[in-house]
Amino acid sequence: MSQVVFSSWGREVVDNRQGGDGEVEAVQRRLPVTFDGNQPIAAFMGWDGVVIKDPSIDVVAMAAEYAKRVQEDYCCAKCSPGKKGTKVMQDALARILAGQGSEQDLTTIEGLADLLQNCKCTLCATSVIPVVDTIKHFRNDYLAYISGENQPKGEHRYTVKLTAPCQSKCPAHIDIPSYIEEIKDRKYSEALATIRESMPLPAVCGRVCPHPCESACRRKNVDDSVNIMVLKRTASDYEWQHALQPPMQPKPRKDKTIAVVGAGPAGLTSAYYLALEGYPVTIYEALPEGYGGGMIAVGIPAYRMPRHILQRDIDIISSMGVEIKYDTRVGVDITLPELKEKFDAVLLAPGAHKSKPMGVEGEDQGYTGFLAGGIEFLREAYLGRPTGMGKKVVVVGGGNTAIDCVRVALREGAEESILLYRRTRKEMPADEWEIDGADEEGVRFEFLVLPTKILVDDNNQVTGVECVRMELGEPDDSGRRRPQPVEGSEFVVECDTVIPAIGQDPDLSFIPEDMGIEITRWKTVVTKTLPLQNAIGRDLQDDMGNALTRTLVTDCDGVFASGDAEIGPLTVVACVGNAHRAAKVIQRWLEEGEAYLDDDDLMEDIIWSLGVYDQDEKVAWLDSVERTNQDEVHGRERASKGNYSEVELGFKDSKAVQEAERCLRCYRVGMLAL
Amino acid sequence: MVSLTIDGKTVSVARGTTILEAARQLGITIPTLCWLQKVSPTGACRICAVEVEGVDRTMTACNTVVKDGIVVTTQSERLFTIRKQIVELLLVNHPLDCPVCDAGGECELQDITYAFGVNRPSFAAENVNPDTIDGWPLIQQVPSRCVLCEKCVKVCHETVGAQALLVNDRGDRAFIDKRLENCEYCGNCVQVCPTGTMISKTFKFKARPWELQKTASICTLCPSQCEVDVHTKQNQVCRVTSEDGETVNNGSLCIGGFFAHGFLNSEKRLTSPLKKRVDGQQPLDWDEALSSVVEKAATAGGEACAGLTGGRLGNEEYYLFQKLFRAGFGSNNIDSEARFGYLRGIEVLQSALGLGGASHLPDRIGQVDAVVVVGADPTSEAPLVDWQIQQACRVGDGKLILANQRKVKLNQYANTPMVYRPGSEVALVNALTKLVLEQDGADDDFLGRYLGNVDELKSFYAAVDLGQAIEATGVSAKTLQDAAGYLVKAESVAVVFGGEVLRGPMSAEATRALVNLALVCGALHGDIGGLFPLDEKGNLAGAIDAGVAPGLLPGQQAYGQAGGQFASSWGVDLPQQGKDANQILHGIEAGEIRFLYLAGVNPLLAFPQAARWRKALEKVEFLVVQDILASELTSMADIVLTGAGNFEKSGSVTGLGGRVGYLKPAVSPVGESRPDFEIFAGLLAKVQRDSAPASLAAVQTEMKDLSGLYEDVCFTASGRRFCYRKGWKPVDGSLRFAPAEGVAQLPELVLLTGASMFQFGSTTTFSPGTATVAPTGQFLVNPADALSCGVNDGALIKVSAAGEEIQGAIKLSDDVPRGVLFAPANFADLPVRQLIPEGNLVGVSIAKA
Repeated sequence: MSQVVFSSWGREVVDNRQGGDGEVEAVQRRLPVTFDGNQPIAAFMGWDGVVIKDPSIDVVAMAAEYAKRVQEDYCCAKCSPGKKGTKVMQDALARILAGQGSEQDLTTIEGLADLLQNCKCTLCATSVIPVVDTIKHFRNDYLAYISGENQPKGEHRYTVKLTAPCQSKCPAHIDIPSYIEEIKDRKYSEALATIRESMPLPAVCGRVCPHPCESACRRKNVDDSVNIMVLKRTASDYEWQHALQPPMQPKPRKDKTIAVVGAGPAGLTSAYYLALEGYPVTIYEALPEGYGGGMIAVGIPAYRMPRHILQRDIDIISSMGVEIKYDTRVGVDITLPELKEKFDAVLLAPGAHKSKPMGVEGEDQGYTGFLAGGIEFLREAYLGRPTGMGKKVVVVGGGNTAIDCVRVALREGAEESILLYRRTRKEMPADEWEIDGADEEGVRFEFLVLPTKILVDDNNQVTGVECVRMELGEPDDSGRRRPQPVEGSEFVVECDTVIPAIGQDPDLSFIPEDMGIEITRWKTVVTKTLPLQNAIGRDLQDDMGNALTRTLVTDCDGVFASGDAEIGPLTVVACVGNAHRAAKVIQRWLEEGEAYLDDDDLMEDIIWSLGVYDQDEKVAWLDSVERTNQDEVHGRERASKGNYSEVELGFKDSKAVQEAERCLRCYRVGMLAL
Repeated sequence: MVSLTIDGKTVSVARGTTILEAARQLGITIPTLCWLQKVSPTGACRICAVEVEGVDRTMTACNTVVKDGIVVTTQSERLFTIRKQIVELLLVNHPLDCPVCDAGGECELQDITYAFGVNRPSFAAENVNPDTIDGWPLIQQVPSRCVLCEKCVKVCHETVGAQALLVNDRGDRAFIDKRLENCEYCGNCVQVCPTGTMISKTFKFKARPWELQKTASICTLCPSQCEVDVHTKQNQVCRVTSEDGETVNNGSLCIGGFFAHGFLNSEKRLTSPLKKRVDGQQPLDWDEALSSVVEKAATAGGEACAGLTGGRLGNEEYYLFQKLFRAGFGSNNIDSEARFGYLRGIEVLQSALGLGGASHLPDRIGQVDAVVVVGADPTSEAPLVDWQIQQACRVGDGKLILANQRKVKLNQYANTPMVYRPGSEVALVNALTKLVLEQDGADDDFLGRYLGNVDELKSFYAAVDLGQAIEATGVSAKTLQDAAGYLVKAESVAVVFGGEVLRGPMSAEATRALVNLALVCGALHGDIGGLFPLDEKGNLAGAIDAGVAPGLLPGQQAYGQAGGQFASSWGVDLPQQGKDANQILHGIEAGEIRFLYLAGVNPLLAFPQAARWRKALEKVEFLVVQDILASELTSMADIVLTGAGNFEKSGSVTGLGGRVGYLKPAVSPVGESRPDFEIFAGLLAKVQRDSAPASLAAVQTEMKDLSGLYEDVCFTASGRRFCYRKGWKPVDGSLRFAPAEGVAQLPELVLLTGASMFQFGSTTTFSPGTATVAPTGQFLVNPADALSCGVNDGALIKVSAAGEEIQGAIKLSDDVPRGVLFAPANFADLPVRQLIPEGNLVGVSIAKA
């Protein structure tokens, strides 16, 4: 039998109240059965309809509660129909619930539903949708209240969350519509404050974020997504370009202390939010002073992320009361058990800085010119140390690190920079604009090529890579077509340097085995999860195939994990989101003795799982303003030897305002009844 | 261009135009409530909803940009219903207090309710309107009347740049709140409010809008000279407003324009001429008063007579004042308050550029790529310039390069905010000029064409020592480099400088340095940008133009050269020598000056060495004071002549950039007092025996003929028209670079004086409105300085310099750096200029009082 009693989700009505087993696929697959592994979800109300799973739910009371929360907690009041209309709706429902309503109230609400479609944004306009659904499909329940037959029972509790497609999709869950509106209003400092509520590295994520938010931008359904990332850069650049001091003030100092392993995006983020709460945080960073930032610093070259701007974000975090001990490698200069002893809590955020082996003949022979790996190459180049690179450089791989390597090789003076990739350009995991950037700078691409052997001369100096041509076969698990060698197609790419850049793993050798911290077979730290299963009994997962809802607590009490070493090598923004949650969990653990996820965290995960963005939605809007892209420096000179000047130039303020005007402010309110 | 169809009519408009603007071009009116042309569209009220073919929802005309080929419908049954329902919603819990609401009769909500025929409530909800906010000074906020159109928020944020107003709370409880510490009390929120939500407390319950008579005139409190409408009832000024779109200030006003006119109705107004007798000052009639002045002047003789004026009078009045002295009393001992600031800059601009004031109208600032502000607080000295900077640097993409001795409001918007050490302004400006030249950012075409000695300029700046500049100014090399970088990139630049430079110890050199910077960075090369000297006094430019200075004749003509023309026209011999204000002071002390005529100026507050002036005024044999308000100064006078306020008289005034506007009397002068023009004309007629007093028109003709300045100017009293002084254009190769050097060495702790943001001269301290927010003067003190002398916020301190001492309360502020105290010079109860021997600052010592 279906677990759904009634659903109008997705504007499709499935009504099993009189029996029947109609299913709603989205609900069945993406909505968990329980809220937290324990409390069953009785109903969900939101922008796309209402889902009822518990037949005992009081639909009228639920609708009244939803309307109240929309009006009192979320309605921004910045348009007349929204401000006043949702208040009229709230009061009409409250009257009905109190036994003082009339059928006219129902007519009023249905009439308002049309009027609210003229609202400035979608918050109030989408909020009337589930309410009207209940009136339409549960009219008798309303009439029973109106006639006095029904009394509120109050058996369920509700949990509500404001979201938006972009905000839900953003791993850091930045309140994107809000900061865009603030930019539209030329309130750049306020926009930055909004960003910082969920993102303490705005200058970084305003530049190098793969911006998954833009893939969930409803404006895309009209013409093209809003340039969300560069608007973030605008807000962040405004501050230093006007010599403004960041306004954050940490709370009074607390006694319990926290150690963080690694000054990368995850370590810095959790340190920032804990420091704001008043906790003294000490970060242990293996690299020397001036080279903080973890993978942002060593993995993202300066032409994408200028160092003084990265350093400013780090300095701001330090100024919140975070101490960064540079040149201190945990496991070498201090042990993890020592940290555990010295601090009340420890967060492991070491990142993933060890290149994966390529699996090619000769790679383990110590040949001159065969470098350790892409990330090591970028790190040495950044630190200004000899990289071992020659004049003709081959990079093997298809991710962003491989692209960074070929582009850095040019800036380090390579005469030729060649990228070998075993599939086609289309399958490259690197961001499209990064590939275009390399192309423009004169990188040579060899697609559908598999290196098989490193060729050397008598002195063991690399002279080339033997390769075989590939062709694409059937799609694999990831949906990408599997490359297969073409027999007899062997050929040689001459070079003096080979850089394997096919991925990185965390180096967790600093974690002693006897601490009880488990490691996955992908070399990430195991953290505790909540068993959230969907209606067909499958565990819900995040984008990376990890359990949807993780507490970031390791198996060792007081030790937490975050970042690439917890999620697996991913993006800065994913680390920020994950580390922000780690900070909250650590704080709860320190203050309440229990590391748990609160309602808001759970709602965030559940709403993400349910999906806020619908790529098939027909969005009515006049497409009269095209997306604005930032200017950039063009020409090969931008990659000339030693030229690490920033390539992308950001927006002028007026362009930013124009781009911000394109935002449709797709706020939505979701409410669960438990 | 983009073509579209609206209600069946086709129109072609520029890309980026909104549907609302396109409709207006066709003469189609789409109803609006939250739309305000001078700010960005908000889209709050949704009343301008229109239908666009192919788009399955309504779009709001105010913020929807047109697209080629779209077909728009602005009137339909559906749209009417939507609009009407929105109005019905807006009226939910709107109080029925229209009869006592200040906006009654000029309320847009009333109008739109009437237009849509909403005559009964359709919706109901619990009333959650917050209570009326009475706690804000000058402005009352009535949330229950608010439609949350956000016009006030927008104008506060975009036009004024105060960022005081905001929307607070959520849902139907939301209301307009204020960060009081940011408020400039400009009243623009009151002006743009479509309902009676934002109420002027000074106007509340004074009159119904339809009872008021409106007279177009000019606010003369500062050189912005905004165009205003003076609303009067029963010969009282009830309020002052300004019209968007039609005025040079685009309807915006500051606290001076909006709230400061109360001095006109002050009980301290002088109502008739007075004469000092043994038993105090007693009224006397005008004829006697004028005769007595003429007689005493004649007795003293030309060489012993002197006259001084301030920035309050009109152009014709200044003209007659100097004529009265030169042709009537045979004295060239005339000067004005400009001696201590503005004129020092003008003398340099005249000699360097042949420029008698700002090079351009202030609206040329609004479009520039970069604004340089040195030693000025435009917010206090000329708010219109602040609004133009907001336009250039916040609405536009202009960069703001700001350098002052203390932080001012504009600091928050500056790309390179600099606080330089007092006395180091020349070093600072020279460093900027050098860096612009070094970065190949000089405007070489312009320099090559107009400057005769470009090489000298280049070699001078090549030799400027950057290290010394950094040392002297305390500004970092990086900031200077960044500032120069912005100037190099800018196509158009405006250079603004004000009281801190002009009244400062280095005024002439600093002005010269700024002239050089303006030449090099391209501020003078076109229609956009320019060079703008500011000084907070309203019509000093008019005084200088009229020749109220011993070295100048009307038209800023050199006294020595143009004298003949005036002598023959006036039929007199002009006196040879003339004393300036400083020499007049010496002259009184030496007994050489025995007759002193102060017309609209108060040396006790407005002049440096005010203490010395007090003694001199006590000493002078015969003191004539012409003023409108009773003060310590008028009580010292042998004869008080009672003039008129700016809204009580006719005549022209000259604002920033040489814009000549015309005052129109909105009310008649109080009691027996007279327009200052009539007083001067009466005196001149008496001197010239039996001739009838000159008419305003006759004087204007004479000014035009003799000054060579107003040829393009039409002095007209009809409608809102203004004219400009002739534009500035040098002859090829005629300009000469002159070096500017020097740093004033100052003691460790200095007192810096300047203008209050809320007061204009001392006149407005008599206005209840401005007195509400700035009742008295205070010393701004850096917390570290306060700590070292052991005082807290609000404590009384003694500030002493050169044997003089004054007491006042302190306000701790990071806006002043260590070693600098700031105090406004507007307040009689904090007469800071008593301590100042020259210029605007002095080394002081402070102690707990």
